[in-house]
Amino acid sequence: MEKHYWRSLAECENRGELAAAAEPEFAESPAREIEAGPSRRGFLKAAGFALAGGALAGCSRAPGEKAIPYAAQPEGLVAGRAQYYASTCGACTAGCGLLAKVRDGRPIKLEGNREQAISRGATCAAGQASILGLYDSYRLKQPLAGGKPATWEGVDRAVLEKMERIRAGGGAVRYLSETVTSPAKQAAIDRFLAQFRDARHVMYDAVSASAILDAHERTHGARVLPHYRFERADVIAAFDADFLGTWISPVEFARDYAARRMPPNMSWHVQFEGRLSLTGSKADRRIRTAPGEIAGRLAQLAAFIESNGAGGDDLAARLLQARGRSLVVCGVNDLDAQLWTNYINHLLGNYGATLDIERASLQRRGSDRDLADLLAELKQGQVAALFIDAVNPVADLPGVAGLDRIGLFVSFAGSVDETAERAHYICPDHHYLESWADAEPVAGLVSLTQPAIRPLGSTRAAIETLAAWSGHPAKAYDLIREYWKDRFDWDRALEAGFAEVPRTHAAAPRWIGRKPAPPAAATPGYAVDVYAAVGMPGGRHAYNPFLHELPDPITKTTWDNCALLSPAAAASLGVGDGDILRIEAGAAIEVPLLVQPGQHDQVVSVALGYGRKASERFANLGPRWINHKPTINANGRVGANAAPLLAFEHGLLRYQRGGAVVAKTGRRIELALTQTHHTLSVPKHLAPAGGEVRPIVREIAPAELGKPEHAETHEELWPDDHPYNGHRWGMAVDLNACNGCSACVIACQVENNTPVVGKDEVRRRREMHWIRIDRYYSGPPEDVRVAHQPMMCQQCDHAPCETVCPTLATVHSDEGLNQQIYNRCVGTRYCANNCPYKARRFNWFDYPREDRLANLLLNPDVTVRSRGVMEKCTFCVQRIQEAKIEARRNGAPVRDGEIHTACEQACPAGAIVFGDLNDPSSRVSRLAHDARQYRVLDELNVRPSVHYLKIVRDEKQQGEKHHG
Amino acid sequence: MKSRILSIVLGLGVAFSLMLLASRAAMFHLPGNHQDYEPVQPIAYSHRLHAGELQMQCQYCHFGAESSRHAGIPPANVCMNCHRTVTAPLGAVRAEDELAQKEKRAPRPVVSAELRKLYDAVESGRPVAWTRVHSLPDFVYFDHRAHVNASVACQQCHGPVETMERVRQVSDLSMGWCVNCHREANRTGIAGRRVNASTNCSTCHY
Amino acid sequence: MAEVCSPLRPALIAGDKKPAGVTEDICRALLRPPSALWWGGFSVAFSLLLAGVAAVSYQIATGVGTWGLNTTVGWAFDITNFVFWVGIGHAGTLISAILFLFRQKWRTSVNRSAEAMTLFAVMCAGIFPIIHTGRPWLAYWLFPYPNFRGPLWINFRSPLAWDCFAISTYFLISAMFWYIGLIPDLATIRDRLQPGLRQRVFAILSFGWNGSYRVWQHYEVLYLLLAGLATPLVISVHTIVSWDFATAVIPGWHATIFPPYFVAGAIFSGIAMVLTLMIVARKAMGLEDYITHRHVDAMCKLLLLTSGIVALAYATEFFTAFYSGNTYEQFVFLNRARGPFAWAYWTMVGCNVFVPQLLWFRSVRRRLAIVFVLCILINVGMWFERFVIIVTSLHRDFLPSNWAGYQPTIVEVATLLGSFGLFFTCFLVFCRVLPVIAMGEVKAVLRHGKSHGEQA
Repeated sequence: MEKHYWRSLAECENRGELAAAAEPEFAESPAREIEAGPSRRGFLKAAGFALAGGALAGCSRAPGEKAIPYAAQPEGLVAGRAQYYASTCGACTAGCGLLAKVRDGRPIKLEGNREQAISRGATCAAGQASILGLYDSYRLKQPLAGGKPATWEGVDRAVLEKMERIRAGGGAVRYLSETVTSPAKQAAIDRFLAQFRDARHVMYDAVSASAILDAHERTHGARVLPHYRFERADVIAAFDADFLGTWISPVEFARDYAARRMPPNMSWHVQFEGRLSLTGSKADRRIRTAPGEIAGRLAQLAAFIESNGAGGDDLAARLLQARGRSLVVCGVNDLDAQLWTNYINHLLGNYGATLDIERASLQRRGSDRDLADLLAELKQGQVAALFIDAVNPVADLPGVAGLDRIGLFVSFAGSVDETAERAHYICPDHHYLESWADAEPVAGLVSLTQPAIRPLGSTRAAIETLAAWSGHPAKAYDLIREYWKDRFDWDRALEAGFAEVPRTHAAAPRWIGRKPAPPAAATPGYAVDVYAAVGMPGGRHAYNPFLHELPDPITKTTWDNCALLSPAAAASLGVGDGDILRIEAGAAIEVPLLVQPGQHDQVVSVALGYGRKASERFANLGPRWINHKPTINANGRVGANAAPLLAFEHGLLRYQRGGAVVAKTGRRIELALTQTHHTLSVPKHLAPAGGEVRPIVREIAPAELGKPEHAETHEELWPDDHPYNGHRWGMAVDLNACNGCSACVIACQVENNTPVVGKDEVRRRREMHWIRIDRYYSGPPEDVRVAHQPMMCQQCDHAPCETVCPTLATVHSDEGLNQQIYNRCVGTRYCANNCPYKARRFNWFDYPREDRLANLLLNPDVTVRSRGVMEKCTFCVQRIQEAKIEARRNGAPVRDGEIHTACEQACPAGAIVFGDLNDPSSRVSRLAHDARQYRVLDELNVRPSVHYLKIVRDEKQQGEKHHG
Repeated sequence: MKSRILSIVLGLGVAFSLMLLASRAAMFHLPGNHQDYEPVQPIAYSHRLHAGELQMQCQYCHFGAESSRHAGIPPANVCMNCHRTVTAPLGAVRAEDELAQKEKRAPRPVVSAELRKLYDAVESGRPVAWTRVHSLPDFVYFDHRAHVNASVACQQCHGPVETMERVRQVSDLSMGWCVNCHREANRTGIAGRRVNASTNCSTCHY
Repeated sequence: MAEVCSPLRPALIAGDKKPAGVTEDICRALLRPPSALWWGGFSVAFSLLLAGVAAVSYQIATGVGTWGLNTTVGWAFDITNFVFWVGIGHAGTLISAILFLFRQKWRTSVNRSAEAMTLFAVMCAGIFPIIHTGRPWLAYWLFPYPNFRGPLWINFRSPLAWDCFAISTYFLISAMFWYIGLIPDLATIRDRLQPGLRQRVFAILSFGWNGSYRVWQHYEVLYLLLAGLATPLVISVHTIVSWDFATAVIPGWHATIFPPYFVAGAIFSGIAMVLTLMIVARKAMGLEDYITHRHVDAMCKLLLLTSGIVALAYATEFFTAFYSGNTYEQFVFLNRARGPFAWAYWTMVGCNVFVPQLLWFRSVRRRLAIVFVLCILINVGMWFERFVIIVTSLHRDFLPSNWAGYQPTIVEVATLLGSFGLFFTCFLVFCRVLPVIAMGEVKAVLRHGKSHGEQA
């Protein structure tokens, strides 16, 4: 089988020598794992027909399976042992440090780099999912010229010769890219553009921070993006900035934020926003504010602060108390709002304390003004040559025209997107896991990217392409080493994944601004608010089924972007969930409605990054059967593109604009929601006396801290049948830290080979995620409190599933694990019915795994489950086994913190802790005895091994703080 | 008379079919049980010669066994450690020498047909595709590390490989076989040391 | 069975039959070619069966996903049908075994078909535990058998494992009981047939019965013993089935009342099914003299009784929920009565509690048409009882985030119809090839025997 397999991969690589090199790498058992999808299922089926097959088997012999070693084994590589390569995440410009887990030559998992300052061991959902991009079979395998496959030599010759003409003619050359965080690449670009008389490098970000940069240019004389330090802030006021979800550097911010949210002395956080964001869901107080009112609010706050808290505004008072220990952030891409934000931070003396502009952030450098100018030039056909790198303006931006009037149009896109398909030449860049690169996300921190696998296709790093076109071709590796030569110890940096470089920089820019002018009044009518969703931070991820199937942490929708309206607004329009709305603001788009508590009554929010060409591939995703409905919408894509709703206003790309018109179309679709009952209180007319609200999630005020509620003692009917002499694995989940970012969900999916099932199956409530994040609302719909609760198999001591399974397919281990043995399971689903947490997942179908290339991502240490088999969270037992065996091999016991489950490993907030409950000094057993500790449905006496820690929220006005 | 002949014939028939059945029953295997599987390998490599006569350590070639779940099939460059110099059986080399002395000429290098395959592999960089003998279902995770480091002898599972010309699967590798060995080890220990050979399902199935 | 029947009691068999006449009447149906009516019924039943076969094979080929189930509602039609059919079976055993032990003479003319019904119902029931598994081809793992896995047995704590034993035992005993009862009649038919294949078949089936005194004596003893064996099964089988739910932690399932509640319900639905069939067979096969109003009347009274018990069980469930103070428990029952599946709940209550009350009136009990309709309604109600227990308990359990709905797919509906198809196909075939009424036993309760006594 391998032989056939390799031929097929060779086809999709058309690179003989790679096939040759790769063949042995995968030829040990992992290759069988690759094959596994089908063959394993085949086996299980075959095993089923044991009786019938008995006679046959009598003479049957083992399958002619090949075991192919290396011809010459690379140094230090042992088949079956994972290797970790320090690298840098390329999913966005935040630049989180990664460790790429490579098993027998295949990167199969990304883990955060604990030492690197941005990641500190964590990743976000998009980062976790981005590894799938490496095995994306739609990626270009070679350059295209005029849409036809070409050779690099050919393309180089053609491009150079065209460039020559342009140089002669002195035409305008434009290089359009997203924020370039790689200094080496920036240098290459500059060198490349230096050849031309009229050349400009234009950077823009799909989610722009241009206003912040511009504002600082005004107030500090330098176009810098402050490095926000949430871990230093005692009081945080955020204005429409979803810094835990998608804003600038969410992983870093989530870590810092969580670090200061540990009771008892927590930071205090107020959120002003129109859409209920992930960040808003964690705030102590959340104030619904329409985008138009933000600047006004800021000005008002500034006034209070100037008058030293006169007027008794609680927030102002708190901020003043915490001068230099407070932080005001604003995510609105509007100059007024940003100027006021800077002014307030200046008044509070936060610059240099909670906002670092000396070692500023370089994660957003795009300039919307430059972009606007470029678009104008394009309209008028003034651009002779356009080079587009890693952006997709046609889909990202409104009103991109005149592309067909460009003399030379080159794209570096890895696959053919809306923009690239119109380019004359596509010179595909590597996936970041294939390439050498560097990044400087924050001034002074250089994070290196090293290839974890040889390029799967004949792609070429953009930096090499640029070098080739600048006259002195060079390899990316050399270019980067050359750039950083003797700035730091290369080998050590490569091992660590990053290096600190002394910043040769003048003193921090000084405050030169003055009090901003009073902001303009908000425009009446609906404000449309285009936002980046946690599961889809940008259109570049639209190819990724993991992210499409990830339930949005707040809305719980999958496979769609919706128009979010407040219950009141929806009622006034007479529409409900799934009704398709027509939103008109300049241009018009049609999206299904989702009624969103906490939404401002005058704001309609739509997620960007949907309705992309890349999502057309999902046309026939998921199991095929008579009632199967397609995953894509009528437009042939997943969701609708919200870009037309954006517009440029005085040189800034506005994501929020007033004067939108919302109308119903009369059509409706059924949304794929993973949660349909949103509160812990049962419907009024079904509520038993005193039982309206279920104590699944528990929330307390700071005043109630340290008062453990009396634990119910359970009478044991029979002696404890689980002694647990050795380890006893358990988990603690701090609900106060968890912000619902869902990185754990994707991490688990990648680690455990969980299938993607498609929109229709999700609609039927059959999503397969082993860990889900339950989101519960409380309080009135206009002012909701939100609780996020990661819910996975609770590994109960008295597990209800174990007693009912007739075939002993789920049994208890002597280390407290509730084991699920797929190959013994016949699929009665009795265990799932009897699970109080409904943490078990059933394989309703053989979920197609036809994409051979994508199958390379499968974790060889986890069985791919066949149809008709129950599965669930295993506490990453494969990792436990690995650690135990290694420990035994080294003759040392497993230390606390040596085993990290995939979810724990990915969590930016450090909310999940896994460990040995038998070890009194382990972090998990300390948390299991914390005063905030409780267990879900403890009254059932199923004895879950997962301990939850209560949410602490300080909603009181400061005055009434004491009598709590 | 006639009836007697008939009954004799019948009796013989029955006896014959019984014999057939017996022989079939002897070689009956349940599905998935490939005990006594002894495939022909691309290179007639002799474990008897290397592990038996020359007493090479198993882990010299199968070096993964101590540090990885897979013992691993040795890459060609491991073979070359010796076979860079050893190119043919001693007998063949001697014969050539004698012949050369008779013919008063320098002995030509002798390369055995089997080793030629190895050299071709090394030169072309195309690895030798051995036929896998011991193969567990995909839902079973066996880890050589754990066993080797608990000083379980290779032969305990793989049988007297050092006596085999061609490797044969000696044990049936059924779950019962594994579990019983684990139980036994917990009772008696291995090489005098107490061991904890877990019989949890998730020791092998996950 | 020549016991004396009291002259004070009305005749069990109308129209002063002679034994020969009885044999005549019963065998006539078998010897004459099937009527158009029969063909009509058969074609309908058989096409339903085919639909079911198609649905099941599609489901086995494609996956349980072709049913409307989801992560929250793991069982619905499948187990509902299972419990429903097992329940249907019970009446047969009750009538043939328990009433026999209680010497209820009137049973003689219905027990044969009731037992047949039991067999067919249990066959239908048995299918569902197999096809409801994700990997039916491995369903044999539910039985303990020696193996090379260590060895690895089944989980004897699992009610589902008990089910396997309960159902298989039940089927075996009922089949044996039924067949033993058949033997004398098979012999009778054998003796009436012209020599030929059919006659030879019956000769084999009747085990060379010669009707001698000793044979009859052995027969009687064996029959009594089997009756004794079958009786506890009436109670045990459905008790065990009820444990599938009673031993679970899910509110609405976790209730000690289930065993008696289920058994009563089973007999309730079973009797209803027997009546449905009897009323049809009586008309279609002209057995008015054998299945008299008296039989219908007696069974209607049984219906009333069991309906009463079921009603009491419903009430008790609510009371325990209320009295337990367990809010999850209370919610489940409020949710049944007023939640999204309220319609199913009230259908159940309507059909099982209110409708049967009509049977208090003699006039209703005498009108077979009405009784027939009532029985159909009762069976609908009893099917919904199981549906309500299973689905409403599951679809909204502990964690609100899990709450989900349930909608059957066409495959599921076809499977349900298919099971009815199987049942009726079997029954119709039975009516054609075997005596629907136990001649041997009926003859024993004729007036005829007694009148002789008077003359003597």
